[in-house]
Amino acid sequence: MELTIKDRLKRAGNAVIFPFIILLLWQILGSMGILYETILPAPTKVAKAFVEIVKDGSLAIDVWVSLKRVLIGSFFGILAGLTLGFISGLVPFVERLLQPIVDIIRQISLYAWIPLIVLWFGIGELSKDVIIARGVFIPVYINCVSGIKNIQKEYVELSKVLELNKATFLRRIVFPSASPVIFTGLRLAVGDAWTAVVAAEVLGGLTGLGYALLNAKEFLKSDRLIAVMFVIAILAAVSDLALKQIEKHAFKWKEN
Amino acid sequence: MQATETTADNSVILDIDHVSKEFKTRLKTVKAIDDVNFKVQRGEFISVIGPSGCGKTTLLRLIAGLETNYTGNILLNGKRVEKPGLDRGVIFQDHRLLPWLTIEENLALGLTDDKTQINALVKQYLHKVDLDGFENSYPRQLSGGMSQRASIARALIRQPDILLLDEPLGALDALTRYNMQEELEKIWMNNETTMIMITHDIEEAVYLSDRIVVLDSRPCKVREIFTIPLEHPRNRESKEFEEYRTCVVSSFRSAVANYSI
Repeated sequence: MELTIKDRLKRAGNAVIFPFIILLLWQILGSMGILYETILPAPTKVAKAFVEIVKDGSLAIDVWVSLKRVLIGSFFGILAGLTLGFISGLVPFVERLLQPIVDIIRQISLYAWIPLIVLWFGIGELSKDVIIARGVFIPVYINCVSGIKNIQKEYVELSKVLELNKATFLRRIVFPSASPVIFTGLRLAVGDAWTAVVAAEVLGGLTGLGYALLNAKEFLKSDRLIAVMFVIAILAAVSDLALKQIEKHAFKWKEN
Repeated sequence: MQATETTADNSVILDIDHVSKEFKTRLKTVKAIDDVNFKVQRGEFISVIGPSGCGKTTLLRLIAGLETNYTGNILLNGKRVEKPGLDRGVIFQDHRLLPWLTIEENLALGLTDDKTQINALVKQYLHKVDLDGFENSYPRQLSGGMSQRASIARALIRQPDILLLDEPLGALDALTRYNMQEELEKIWMNNETTMIMITHDIEEAVYLSDRIVVLDSRPCKVREIFTIPLEHPRNRESKEFEEYRTCVVSSFRSAVANYSI
C-alpha cells in the first residue's frame, strides 16, 4: 500500500492526539496544584528531572549498564534458542524430549525465577545475564521450532520432485521459509529482554535503569522515576523499530 | 513384474497398467483410482480430464511418485514408478517458485554443474519460455503467466523424459490462459517432450492434445480416450476443432452425469 505524505502525517497525527491530550490535562492539573507532587509531578517537572540526570551523567551510565546486559543476555538467550530450536525443529525426537522442560520453564513466570537465579548466581552481572537469557530463550526457541516444523508441504513436495539433497533442502528451502517466523521470535525476544533487565535490576541490583527506578522511589523522587520510565519505553521502542526496519528489508520477498 | 517384456516397444514411454489406488482412513477405505489403463507414446501430448474430485490429480501424483502404495504397474521407460525422480518434471497448479530466490536461482536449484554452465543453461531455458533477461528478478516481480512459464523452465532445464502438468493454467485469468495455451503448444513442439496434463478445460485439452483421456469418477476409471489428429499449431476457429470439442464435451457431460447420480 503506497501512502502519500499527507496520509502519513494524518496517521501520525491520529497516533499522538490522545497521548497529547493526556499530557496536556496532566500538565494543567499539575500547574493548578491539584496533583500531589510526590505522587504525580507535572510533565515539566519530569522533563526537568530528565535534564538533571542527563547532565549529572547518571542516566548515561545506567543506560549503558542496562544496554550491555540486554546485549549480553540476549546474545546467549538467542544463541541457545536458535541452536535448540533448530535441532528440535528438525528432529522430532529431540523436540519431544525438550518440550516438557521448555513448558515448565515457560509456565513459571520470569519474575518467579529471579530469586532462585539470584540465589544461584549472586547479585552480580551473571545473574542479570541469566535472567535476560531466560526471558529471551523462550520466544526464540518456540518460534524457531514452529517456523521449521510448519514448512509448507508444497515446498517439501517440490524438493522431492527436484531430488534436492538434504543440505540444499535445508539451506535453500527450510531455513529461508522459517526465517520470517524466527525473526518474529527475535523481535518478541528483544522486547522481553528490556522487561527482563528492568525486573532483574529492580529485584536485585545496584546499577542500571531498574535500580535507578528503585532508587528514585526510595528517595520519593517521583519526577526522576517517571523520567527513567520514559527512557526505558523509548529504548525498547527504538530497538523494536530498528528490528522492524531490518525485517522489512530482509523479507522483501514476502510482498505479494 | 515382467517390466522388460511389456515395454519391448520403445515408442511407449509410459505404461499405466491396471493401476488402482485406495486411501484408507480409520473409518473406511476409499477407492480413488480403479483399474486405469492407458499407454503414452514418446513425444505425445496427453490430456486427462474428468469431473472435479474424480482422482485425476491422484493419478498424476502417482506417476510423479508423490503418492505410492498403488496396485498394478506404472512403468516409465519400463521401470516401475516408486518415488519421484528427475526423469519426470512436475508443473503444479501454483508455480511453486521459491519467493526468496531469484528466477535464476530457482531454475538452478539443486543443479550441480559448474557456474558458467548453469548460467548458460538458465539463459537457454528462459529463452525457451520467453523470459529472456529475467534471471535476476524475484518471483514477486513476475505476473502469474510469467511465473508459470518460469516453473516450466525449471522443469525443462532438468531435461525430463516426461512433463507432468497438474492443471497448470487453472489459476490464471482467461486471457492469460489463452496465451499460455499457445505458449505451451510452442514449448511442446520445440522440445519434443512428452507431456501429460490434467485439466478441466475441454477446449484447452482439444487445443493441445494428441489424445484426451476422459475419466469417470468414484471410482476413477477411464471412460473414453479420444484421438485428436489435427495439425499443430491448431486453429480454434476451424470446423474440425469444433467437432472434436463437441464430441469430448458430450462424453464429459455423461461422466459428470454419472457422478451426480
